[in-house]
Amino acid sequence: MTAAAHIFRLDSVSKRYGETVALDNINLSVDRNEYVSLLGPSGFGKTVLLRTIAGFEAPDEGRIEVNGVDVSSLPAHKRGIGFVFQNFALFPHLTVADNIGFGLANRDVPAGKDEIATRVNDIIKLVGLEGLAARGVGQISGGQKQRVALARTLITEPKLILLDEPLGALDANLRGRMRNELRAIRERLGVTFLHVTGSETEALAMGDRIIVLDHGHIAQFDIPDTVYSAPATPNVAKFLNRYNVFDGSVSGTSFKTEYGDLAFTQKTKSDRPAYAVRYDRVAVDADESAGKGPSVPASFVASEYLGSSIMYFFEAMGGKVIEVEHHLSNGAPKTFDTEKSYRLRWKPEDAIVFG
Amino acid sequence: MESRILKPILAVYVALFILFLYGPFVVLTILSFQQGPEGGPQFPIVEWSTYWYRHIFGLTEASRVAPLPIGTSMVRSLTLAFMTMVTSTVLGVMSAQAFRNKFKGSDFVFYLIVLGMITPGLLTGLGVALVSRNIFNVDRHWWSTAFVSHVVYTFPFAFLVMLAILNRFDASVEEASWSLGVSPIRTFRKVTFPLVFPGVLSSMLFAFTLSYDEFSRTLLSSNEQTLPLAIYGTFAVEIHPNLFAFGVLTTLFSFSLLAVYAILMALSVRRAKKVAIQEEIA
Repeated sequence: MTAAAHIFRLDSVSKRYGETVALDNINLSVDRNEYVSLLGPSGFGKTVLLRTIAGFEAPDEGRIEVNGVDVSSLPAHKRGIGFVFQNFALFPHLTVADNIGFGLANRDVPAGKDEIATRVNDIIKLVGLEGLAARGVGQISGGQKQRVALARTLITEPKLILLDEPLGALDANLRGRMRNELRAIRERLGVTFLHVTGSETEALAMGDRIIVLDHGHIAQFDIPDTVYSAPATPNVAKFLNRYNVFDGSVSGTSFKTEYGDLAFTQKTKSDRPAYAVRYDRVAVDADESAGKGPSVPASFVASEYLGSSIMYFFEAMGGKVIEVEHHLSNGAPKTFDTEKSYRLRWKPEDAIVFG
Repeated sequence: MESRILKPILAVYVALFILFLYGPFVVLTILSFQQGPEGGPQFPIVEWSTYWYRHIFGLTEASRVAPLPIGTSMVRSLTLAFMTMVTSTVLGVMSAQAFRNKFKGSDFVFYLIVLGMITPGLLTGLGVALVSRNIFNVDRHWWSTAFVSHVVYTFPFAFLVMLAILNRFDASVEEASWSLGVSPIRTFRKVTFPLVFPGVLSSMLFAFTLSYDEFSRTLLSSNEQTLPLAIYGTFAVEIHPNLFAFGVLTTLFSFSLLAVYAILMALSVRRAKKVAIQEEIA
């Protein structure tokens, strides 16, 4: 064991498929005992990154270090990294218990029968699969399959576990429960999880830190609060699905867009100019006059009830959709008229401007 | 409307198919119960008897009809078919496995392999005999040159079957096994092979049956007679119903092979189906 604080480190890792750059010079270091979410739209290199770390794909360039050891040229089975697949990839010809004990029984130095039995039993209790040990993996539910996949990995005691959208195949209810269980298991066993997800809520809820991947490079790597309230690039703001993002150009203390000049107070450095304002910071005004402060004229399209809040969808010039979130703790929902025009307003200090 | 015309046509077609498939066998079976040793290989049946069956096994008194010279040739054929089955299936599994990753020239190699099943048999047999004689200085035997020509012929079938199976195979279970610290070789043994086993069974069946009644390639590449050659040899003299009786027995043998295959297949499919059904419910 080395004294290094990080469990794994990527050093200028790149991967191309023909013309497509899947990973673009990735530098990344994740601490021990950390839960890291990896967020990004599909097709932006999340799974490739995970598969490259696991050793299923070889990077074109760069170095991968796990536990202080360079594993770049090691085959997958010698890296000691756990991997939980999106489709679970359980062994269909084995029982639940045999699936879980598979790694212990079949590694180069297999564990003894009794030891396997004891450890399989322990882990079955840990993930709550009691009474299912003798079942075939075809005879259990989706959530149980997910737990078998996790137990099968945990039992080999990796220090790093990669999760490839493991909750994607579950329904919303189960997803919430598994989310909590994953965190609890992680805290009990002291492993690092790198969790790929396409869902921004999942990323924000689960990660100690969040990596946002954009076209094969890391756009932001920070704690959820910072990523949420201070996205580093216009695309990060877009992926979070909480921001209205306008294109345009910076001119002094206002931002020129096709909807008018929008005022702002602070600016983040970025190679692409954009103006972002969070859904829940936008207010709807029946008074159509421009008035003071940044505002955009728009017409009401539809609303969507979310339980604790309501989303209103407005359409500005050129069909641009602007979303407004109204938290119900801030008062009863309002009704808007699809025939009428409104003015959407917000405070200049709530705007995040890139330029 | 369409089916009013199409259905009867298809029904006739299927009836004809079945007639031509089983008709000869039925006639053969009936004639095999001809009276012996005077009864000839034609209708009418003089008197029903099992004489010709007993004749095959040498249980009848000596007569002017010589016993079928099939004892050793049948052992040869069975041994050859078994050797071919094992070799072709192993080669088929290995090469299909190799084709899972596109490699340089894989298309070319694919056609090269598949060519083995469409080249004319007689010429392949002759070619194998000539090459072994003139280049490798190996004599023609059922276990050397004929064996090679049988493998060349049956290997593509085993290969194509395995290729189809592996194409549908979800590789993530293999990756899962690696990530659990299990070496690729052990992963193949413990995960891949059990999951593609139905395909392996089919490959074995193809290779065995194709080799067992292979004629054209064997004719020139074997110095000794295999079963099909021995049977063909008896045609040259005179045909007696003992040949039909033997035909019935070998067909029954083939059916029992098929039955074993079906049982093994059913066992492994039932397990797979159980999984699939449960997945649908979940």
